[in-house]
Amino acid sequence: MTQPRTCYVDISRYDPERGDQYPTMQRVQVPYDDSTSVLDVLQYVKEQVDSSLSYRWSCRMAICGSCGVMVNGIPKLGCKDFVRDYVAHKGVGRDHAANDAPALTIEPLAHFTGERDLVVNMDEFLTHLEAVKPYIIDPASRPNNPSAATHSQTPAQLARYQQFANCINCGLCYAACPQFGLNPEFVGPAAIALAHRYNLDSRDHGKHERMQVLNTHDGVWSCTFVGFCSDVCPKGVDPAAAVNQGKVESAKSMLIQLFKGSSIGDSRS
Amino acid sequence: MSYKPELTGRWWLKHGHFKRYMLREATVIPLVFLLCSLLAGVFSLQDVERFSQWQAYMAHPLVIIGHTVALGAALYHAATFFVLFPRVMPIRIANYTLPARLMVAGQWAAVLAVALLCLWLVTGGRV
Amino acid sequence: MKQRIKGLHLEPLWWGLFSAGGVCFAVLVPSVVLVFGLLWPLGVVDVSFTTLQSWYQSLWGLVFTAVVISLPAFHAAHRIRHGLHDMKIGYGGSTTAFVCYGSAMVVTALGVIAWWSA
Ligand code: SF4
Ligand code: FES
Repeated sequence: MTQPRTCYVDISRYDPERGDQYPTMQRVQVPYDDSTSVLDVLQYVKEQVDSSLSYRWSCRMAICGSCGVMVNGIPKLGCKDFVRDYVAHKGVGRDHAANDAPALTIEPLAHFTGERDLVVNMDEFLTHLEAVKPYIIDPASRPNNPSAATHSQTPAQLARYQQFANCINCGLCYAACPQFGLNPEFVGPAAIALAHRYNLDSRDHGKHERMQVLNTHDGVWSCTFVGFCSDVCPKGVDPAAAVNQGKVESAKSMLIQLFKGSSIGDSRS
Repeated sequence: MSYKPELTGRWWLKHGHFKRYMLREATVIPLVFLLCSLLAGVFSLQDVERFSQWQAYMAHPLVIIGHTVALGAALYHAATFFVLFPRVMPIRIANYTLPARLMVAGQWAAVLAVALLCLWLVTGGRV
Repeated sequence: MKQRIKGLHLEPLWWGLFSAGGVCFAVLVPSVVLVFGLLWPLGVVDVSFTTLQSWYQSLWGLVFTAVVISLPAFHAAHRIRHGLHDMKIGYGGSTTAFVCYGSAMVVTALGVIAWWSA
């Protein structure tokens, strides 16, 4: 067996219980091969180098959305991002430990409050998500009134929102969005994409309630279509498209409210 | 206990995507210059005297450079703006979504058509 | 009435003008700047004063003012307003918006005055 290749990695460390005021970088040498993910690197460091390292993960297959980190300044899922892609351009097979410039810098997701090492406070995203009621709202469907017809859907009706339903709530788009970074009150890409997803759902009757949130300055109107959220999304959701389709919907809803006194999709109208 | 780095006004220097975004936003700076020139132009249309003054202004090398930048800015803006259209307003006919590429190509065709129309108008068809 | 205007604001209007202006900036402005800013000053094409004047004095002159001057001005105003916010310059909020969209309105007014007095 040949010696495994190695490279240097910088990892952002921060432990308020140890009295840290701000994060510092820890440089470690790690082995890698073609299948080593960023998450594997973190796992190696925790097991072999420093067991105090904190980071989140669960599924290791880009489904749970908990392993988001910044790799060289770009939001990535640790389990879906590979060391080979960072060292490749320096020549495959070379021993990168020879020069100790780090191939990767791993930091917590930007624009969130860091709690410890790579762990951030995801509540800052989840409260926005909660605010847009990302679930089917249907006053007619009660547990005691199971009407099968209510929940049947044609493939065409499904196709309208399917793309926006692929979100795994990883928060990468929030770490990519400068408008969220500048204004934490901005509802943000994923929450607006999910609001749009339910607004487009033929089974849903909650559009009016969601538009109350999307219509505000901190709703769709904070977006300037930077578009980086869609570039970093690991699931191809294209939240930027959802937000800007949301602007069209918001404009309609506000116009209708102005003329009719009640907004679009208002179940009380 | 927690740590939150604050974004400075220079966040957009962090990487290429943000720099391209700022460049897109900055295309309006040469546009403002062009709008000033055009505004002067429409005011000069009142008599020949002022019109020839405007002509001399438009032929000043610095002004030509400024307008060349404005042309580049307009084309860069177009390139970034056209791809947004199919994402903001996807055109769906029955179950069929118009391919984004087709919508982008259609918009460039419009740019070309307007250019030809403009040339035809000013030259009075004598090309 | 209270209920009717509750929560409404002008963002959809500014965004609509920005979008319309963006289309004009992308589709019309390249040709205009190509002809009047480059080809004409460089002597490639010739523009006759009388033809241009009579064309401008027709209703087309007003259309030109709207789609080549006014709407792109609102487009520029919107981007400058958000650009200043992005760079954390100025007082933000309504002051910047007032100055930016106000300037675009002044440009529009000047354009209409020019056409009216031509
Ligand atoms: S929209 Fe994409 S990037 Fe944003 S939370 Fe959902 S899956 Fe993650
Ligand atoms: S560990 Fe579940 S998405 Fe990466």
